Amino acid sequence: MKTVKYVYNSGLAFSEKKDMQRFSQYAKEGWFLESFAYLGFGYKLRKGTSKELIYNLDYRKDADEEYFHFFEAAGWALVCSFGNEIHIFSAPVGTKPIYTDQPTLEEKYELEKNKMGKYALPFFISCCVFFLLYAVGSGTWLPLWASNILLVLGTITIIPLIFTGLPYLAHWKKLNKVRKS
Amino acid sequence: MPRADTLEMGELTDSAYYILLSLLEAKHGYSIMRSIEEMTSGTLSIGPASMYTTIKKLGKANLIKEIKTKDTQNKKTYVATESGISLLKKEIQRRRDMVRHAEEIFKTSKWSDAK
Repeated sequence: MKTVKYVYNSGLAFSEKKDMQRFSQYAKEGWFLESFAYLGFGYKLRKGTSKELIYNLDYRKDADEEYFHFFEAAGWALVCSFGNEIHIFSAPVGTKPIYTDQPTLEEKYELEKNKMGKYALPFFISCCVFFLLYAVGSGTWLPLWASNILLVLGTITIIPLIFTGLPYLAHWKKLNKVRKS
Repeated sequence: MPRADTLEMGELTDSAYYILLSLLEAKHGYSIMRSIEEMTSGTLSIGPASMYTTIKKLGKANLIKEIKTKDTQNKKTYVATESGISLLKKEIQRRRDMVRHAEEIFKTSKWSDAK
């Protein structure tokens, strides 16, 4: 019988809550989250005996021993970490949440949003510059080869821009939701 | 736009208020959680992520400091600093004033309990 299976990661910036609920559902069916897989694009689950668990995620760069002590003391067990930055914890149903006040919860998403924004900005700017130059210069003062290069460069920068800009927008949306609640 | 930091405004969030209060005497992280639960008869418990964030913040603002102890389990111990205590006192007065304002207004309103 299969004891390990892999499931996709729908992008934690977009579906953090949904993914945590998914893990609870899997645990009920006897499949337990074990680690991130495929460079973070998936999760590895392992078969065990069915349990009622809740899952929570926190972003914390360079988390230290004390950080994990706090979780342990509050009944939250570390399940797995990604790049010592994203940490997923599990606890029995009824355990109090890991964030209990609004200011610190806001900070969770604010820091993540700012980080993604910092990554996305250079791609955003270069993408704009490439396409703007192309739009202005193509067919006029730019030689054909140069406008082709601009088009290719612009298209290439869209890819990292999507992977940083969309999470940025997702965190921004979540932050606003937390603030309004 | 980042929101104005309450600490910089000289105000304490509820979590920061209780953490500072429990650190009039030196404690390590877990004891802080426990002492807040005891202090509030279990009505307030601070989650580990909120606790860690707030402790780091209070430390950065020099309102609490880490003290070296011979703890074998390598747990960090904290205590409130003088500026922490003085901010806490200011905060207690602020909150006392807030309650007093409310009581005064209520007393003269039709919602008053006193008949």
